[in-house]
Amino acid sequence: MPVITVTQVNKYIASKLKGDRLLQGIMVKGEISNFVHHYKSGHCYFSLKDKESTLKAVMFASAAARLKFEPEDGMAVVAAGSISAYERDGVYQLYVNDIIPEGVGKESVALEQLKKKLAAEGIFSQEHKRSLPVMPKKIGVVTSLSGAAVQDVINVLTRRYPLCELYAVNAIVQGESAPQSISQGILKAESAGCDVVIVGRGGGSSEDLSPFNTEAVARAVYGCKVPVISAVGHEVDFTLADLAADMRAPTPSAAAELAAPDINQLAENIDNYRRRCERAALEAVEKKISACNSLSARLVSQSPENWLKLMEEKLMNLEKRAETAALRNIERNNAALAEKAARLDSLSPLKVMARGYSLVYSGEELVRDSACISKGQTVKLRFDKGSAEAEIISTDGDNI
Amino acid sequence: MNGNMTFEDNMKKLAEIVSELEKGDVPLEKTVELYGEGVKISVLCKKQLEDAKIKITEEK
Repeated sequence: MPVITVTQVNKYIASKLKGDRLLQGIMVKGEISNFVHHYKSGHCYFSLKDKESTLKAVMFASAAARLKFEPEDGMAVVAAGSISAYERDGVYQLYVNDIIPEGVGKESVALEQLKKKLAAEGIFSQEHKRSLPVMPKKIGVVTSLSGAAVQDVINVLTRRYPLCELYAVNAIVQGESAPQSISQGILKAESAGCDVVIVGRGGGSSEDLSPFNTEAVARAVYGCKVPVISAVGHEVDFTLADLAADMRAPTPSAAAELAAPDINQLAENIDNYRRRCERAALEAVEKKISACNSLSARLVSQSPENWLKLMEEKLMNLEKRAETAALRNIERNNAALAEKAARLDSLSPLKVMARGYSLVYSGEELVRDSACISKGQTVKLRFDKGSAEAEIISTDGDNI
Repeated sequence: MNGNMTFEDNMKKLAEIVSELEKGDVPLEKTVELYGEGVKISVLCKKQLEDAKIKITEEK
């Protein structure tokens, strides 16, 4: 019996396996375990297992790069490939070309994973959401210009907010080139100076949403320097573009309504402003008038006329007091006079003369001393009643 | 005066005038002046709304 080498055995087995049609181009159902994505080479190594057995599997980098999702342990899949032997280790394994997730569609798994990845980067974060401009000057619309979406937007804005400028950027919204076209459209609208951008398309099947579920579009929406409103036109499904947008609208018309205010509302605002203007001005003027009135009243009280009146009153008052005082004085004086007159009367020589005394006058002089008269002189005698002339016969001096 | 100003600018100005007036303690002359300006701008804003015509640019 010939002796052969290990290598020869493994090579032979490998060629046997490769030559067996039943092991080539097969689909193997199983659950992924021990999944390793080799960092440097990009090859994936894992096992497929079911309840009883495991099967080693490898997916080379070139095939792995085509996968739209990252396989994970525990994932139920169908792996497409061929069985061959790894000659160095003497093991057989499944060389995998493609992996199809079982149950859920491959696309949705990929989408979920992309969503997770972008979420982890903060692409969908609420903090990044910007508020829309209240009165946009230039509204960008990125969509197919041949579609209904752009006409919807034009109709709404013409009716609601004709003050704005509409910048419509044509974008391919279906097929392979759509993601790039949409992303570029967003950039164009941004660099054209739009202050808000509507990105979207009319309604359609779920399949048509796929460009809006790409990483490129989600990043373009997130990276846009001005707020973005998504209007993908689907009520149920939220696309990645919706999640990345600052505002989501169910339809392009709704997006246009979100993007701009209504001029009827604005007209009302103007009327309101005007009323407030009037009221405030009126109130201010009234306040001034009342201040002026109060000052004027105070001024009138200080006028010369008023002062004169006051003085007049004061004067009249003084006059009255003077009159009363004067009258009182006169009365008092009269009384005093009467008393004095009575006293004077009692001292009057006439009263003395009534008691029998007489007055002797030498000429006009009242004689008080006999030395003032001499013998033979004529004197006048005055009595209480009547008078007489007499001649002096002698005086005291004659006798001495 | 406001002929070259955009609607947005005029609305902003109008809002400013209103809040200035509502603040009170504005001198009488200034009140009259502000009120006159407010009325003028509100008329202008209304006219701008009426005259507005959407401008559409298409980027193919």
